[in-house]
Amino acid sequence: MGFDMFKKILFATSATAASDHAARVAFNIAKSYQSNLNIFHVMGVPTRGYSQVVVDVKTKEEVSVDEDYIAWVTEEIKTYYEKYLDESLKYSIDVAVGLPAREILRQAKTMKPDLILLGGTTGDEDETVYKKSLAGSTLQKVAKAANCPVLVVNRPAASFWGGLSNIVFGTDFSKTSDKAFDFAIKVAKALDCELSVFHALDITPLHTGKMLSQDEIEQQIRESLRKIRARYESRLKELKGYSMDVWEGIPFIEIVKYARDKHADLLIMAHHSRKVPSGDIRLGGNVEQVIVRAGCPVISINK
Amino acid sequence: MKKKILVIDDDLNIRDYLVSLFNDNGYDACLAGDVKEGLKVAKKNKPDLITLDIEMPGEWGPRLYRQLSQDPQLKNIPVIVISGLSGHQYAVVKAVASLSKPFDRDELLKIVKETLT
Repeated sequence: MGFDMFKKILFATSATAASDHAARVAFNIAKSYQSNLNIFHVMGVPTRGYSQVVVDVKTKEEVSVDEDYIAWVTEEIKTYYEKYLDESLKYSIDVAVGLPAREILRQAKTMKPDLILLGGTTGDEDETVYKKSLAGSTLQKVAKAANCPVLVVNRPAASFWGGLSNIVFGTDFSKTSDKAFDFAIKVAKALDCELSVFHALDITPLHTGKMLSQDEIEQQIRESLRKIRARYESRLKELKGYSMDVWEGIPFIEIVKYARDKHADLLIMAHHSRKVPSGDIRLGGNVEQVIVRAGCPVISINK
Repeated sequence: MKKKILVIDDDLNIRDYLVSLFNDNGYDACLAGDVKEGLKVAKKNKPDLITLDIEMPGEWGPRLYRQLSQDPQLKNIPVIVISGLSGHQYAVVKAVASLSKPFDRDELLKIVKETLT
């Protein structure tokens, strides 16, 4: 298959049930597109400073990290993913000690992946250190700072159900959205997917400053559709199928609903947190909310 | 008139078992081994219910569900997912039920009866 957009994938995993659905996506993508998959596990956070004693993310026990321990963890990961690790898969396993977000970004800087793949919460009672940190700040920090697209599988529902054939691209007409569109159209073309371009019109009084009349809403929908046509349609015509829609409501809810309605296999959106001072980053932006709620994997693009 | 059930599963044993189970319980069952065949049989037979496996060679079950939902004549056919894949209950959001293999025959028949009544 002539697809080279995911040649190198960095899959950051806890190698626990919390990452199982992300793992299915990672291994299936890697196998389908002959990617080199780097399985990356952050073992734990040093108890203090540069101590080699870490709190293990899986057991929450304090352990001393030496070569034997690293070899044991690597073997554990291999065993955990045994069913996926056949000869058709090109993979490597790396482990590190430290804060997950920092180590994932450090690993990304070294290996320069085409895609970073992160798992998320499962909604179960698993309260490991890794899960708590990955679901919140790690996801935000990685999505914000990564130099490549970041694919997040947060819910089990967002797992792999048979391939990529239907992509939804959510736009807010920003420059970053245009970059995300470039990526979306490249993937759609290379994989012969249908692409649906969607804009969610924010009609919440908090955003508009007032309660819009129905005429105003419909006028804005028409304007947004014209904008989509002007901005994207000429390139969408290169694809086997496309659609363009604008729905009004709370943006992240509408995007999730639209993706579900379209039976999307993948949702692509721009991430804007780079514009926001780092101290103000919170789990509440549209992309983060979509990531947390979507029923399919979400790719966040910030550069 | 007997209600028609289409069984779509790549596992021959499961397929045969389900077809016998449904036929023995007063339904008219037909079968398909993959998504392509399933869509063809669904279009031809217009079943009243479909049981659908998720992981199959070639296209997976959710793809068939998507195609069904885009066909005005097939979009309202209820689907019961029967799969051994972990997390299968999330694969088809609008499925009337999602059962794990090995499944309980009485539970399945109860769901089928409730759905087709």
